[in-house]
Amino acid sequence: MSDTVVERHAKTAAGWRSVSGDIKLAAVLFALLALVPAVIGGYAVYILPQYLLFGVLAMSLGLLWGLGGIVSFGQAAFFAIGGYSMGLAMQAGFGPAGAYLGLICAALAGAVLAGLAGYFLFSAGVRATYFVLVTLALSIIVEQAAVSQSQLTGGWNGMFVDRMSLNFGPLGEISLYEDAAAYYFILPIVALIFFGLRALSVSRFGKILVGIRENEDRMMALGYSVSFYKTLAFSLSGALAGFAGALYATHANFVSPSLAGVLFSTEVVVWVAIGGRTSLLGALLGGVAVSALSNYLSSVTPEYWQLVLGIIFVLVILFFKEGLAGLARSLADRLHRTRADG
Amino acid sequence: MQTAISVAIDATLITMVFALAAFGLAIIYGLVGVINLGHGAMLTLGAYFTWAAVNAEVPFFLAVILAGLGVGLIGLLFEHLVIRHFYDRPFDTLLLTWGFFLISTELVKIVFGSSFRNVPSPLPGALDLGFYEVPAYRAFIAVLTLALLAGAALVFFKTNLGIKIRALIQNQEMAGLLGLNIAMTYKLVFGFGAFMAGLAGGLIAPMLSIDPYIGNIFLVRSFFVVIVGGIGQLLSGTLLGSFFIGGSETIIALFSSQVVAQMAVFLLAIVILRFRPQGLMSER
Repeated sequence: MSDTVVERHAKTAAGWRSVSGDIKLAAVLFALLALVPAVIGGYAVYILPQYLLFGVLAMSLGLLWGLGGIVSFGQAAFFAIGGYSMGLAMQAGFGPAGAYLGLICAALAGAVLAGLAGYFLFSAGVRATYFVLVTLALSIIVEQAAVSQSQLTGGWNGMFVDRMSLNFGPLGEISLYEDAAAYYFILPIVALIFFGLRALSVSRFGKILVGIRENEDRMMALGYSVSFYKTLAFSLSGALAGFAGALYATHANFVSPSLAGVLFSTEVVVWVAIGGRTSLLGALLGGVAVSALSNYLSSVTPEYWQLVLGIIFVLVILFFKEGLAGLARSLADRLHRTRADG
Repeated sequence: MQTAISVAIDATLITMVFALAAFGLAIIYGLVGVINLGHGAMLTLGAYFTWAAVNAEVPFFLAVILAGLGVGLIGLLFEHLVIRHFYDRPFDTLLLTWGFFLISTELVKIVFGSSFRNVPSPLPGALDLGFYEVPAYRAFIAVLTLALLAGAALVFFKTNLGIKIRALIQNQEMAGLLGLNIAMTYKLVFGFGAFMAGLAGGLIAPMLSIDPYIGNIFLVRSFFVVIVGGIGQLLSGTLLGSFFIGGSETIIALFSSQVVAQMAVFLLAIVILRFRPQGLMSER
């Protein structure tokens, strides 16, 4: 309210600048990532695609949270369902088509489950806080289902999933068994998803979601079916998480019930909060960086790393609501302004 | 017939355990409107504090009260340092209490280690009903829970503090204008909810093996107890909700497996939410 018109104007301008800045920054990042197998090689080539897929999982939440203001504590449920779909499809004996089928089923399963849950809750006008709790329960239900259906899923022992290969019918096939091949398969997909979501967020659909986030009642008065758009957004987010889970399963060769569990589910929330809830790039980087750091530091200081992560999470919520992306944005803004002034 | 009675007794006992576990949450959620995702961690802390005190040769029931006071104090501190600045932003309090869970769980792991701990039951043995044996400690918990709920209801409806709290819920602005210290009342309620969570954690400790994630078992279930029962319906809502979430699980498990029963109960809770988002016992 204390903003002057001029200040508000400057803010909008800054917002636009950072939007195009986001895309440039992301392009540079993906280009750098493309060099990793040639420059670094080794373990990084094996593990980075998995972190990137965690990044996609984070973006699936970022889409909901950043645009629609909806937080799901159950993204891991979709991720795990995607992984199990992939494993089951590849075991089912469809031959080379199994892997493609698995990817499609994974996205569909995520979309359907999220769509059902979303329809059920949003059409009842259930509040955002209840939605959090139901999604939390969703991850418990999926975890329990994975444990109990052991003849299908291997129970607590988890399920082995083969690396997929890209089959081009009569043109032959490319095995993704080699880490470099898998790397160059997954990296462009992640980039494509990022730019696709970026485009979606500035599209009409994205604007409607932002409208709902800012003022649900007004959007309803304007004649938009709020629950339809919310359900659609949640479905899309579930599909994305399921798809990422399928790729993760075939890359890591393994799915287990803990991938659906509450702890992993809420880890995704931590990634996105730290990365930046209103920035897709923030969510992606949050997912990649925090999961990579978690993995590394939990082998160095297993006792204290999680504690540090928890403290960072609380500090971010307390002091930097927009996460590290927001912090970077305001720093860049200040830099720009001093340069313009001087 | 005898099976039916024994199942009914089992279901009742479990309902009471759930009511005990959910009560602290119902207070904080119902009265100050904070979705306390740290509730599970508060139960865990209560259990570990009790374990530590019992190991230091403190008698069990004194240990439980000390544990409740300890967790209550931590809750007060947390409210004072963090939560009170965010009462107008409920979503951020939800995330902050989740942060409380993350930090508290890690501290428990560092201080107490990750291995399983046991608190010996203060009332071993069983009550023989002739056709059925009821574990004595569970029966005691059931009676104690009822007494605690009734006591809280008494405070809520019959005392000055209760009137203030109800006034606060009904119309915060008016209550503030009439000279009620809103900040202090919120603080007290939050601290009391944390105290109850710690107390419950301590009382539940002898029934389970304690590990750093023990409270998580009750976190989501406690929320469903509160939501299904109806927010702000401290006595009837908590009991009915507990029956739906805890008691019905025992009954469904008769016809299927424990896992299926748990899933069925969650699905049932979601369906209830869909058609009565305000809870079963709520008027509006």
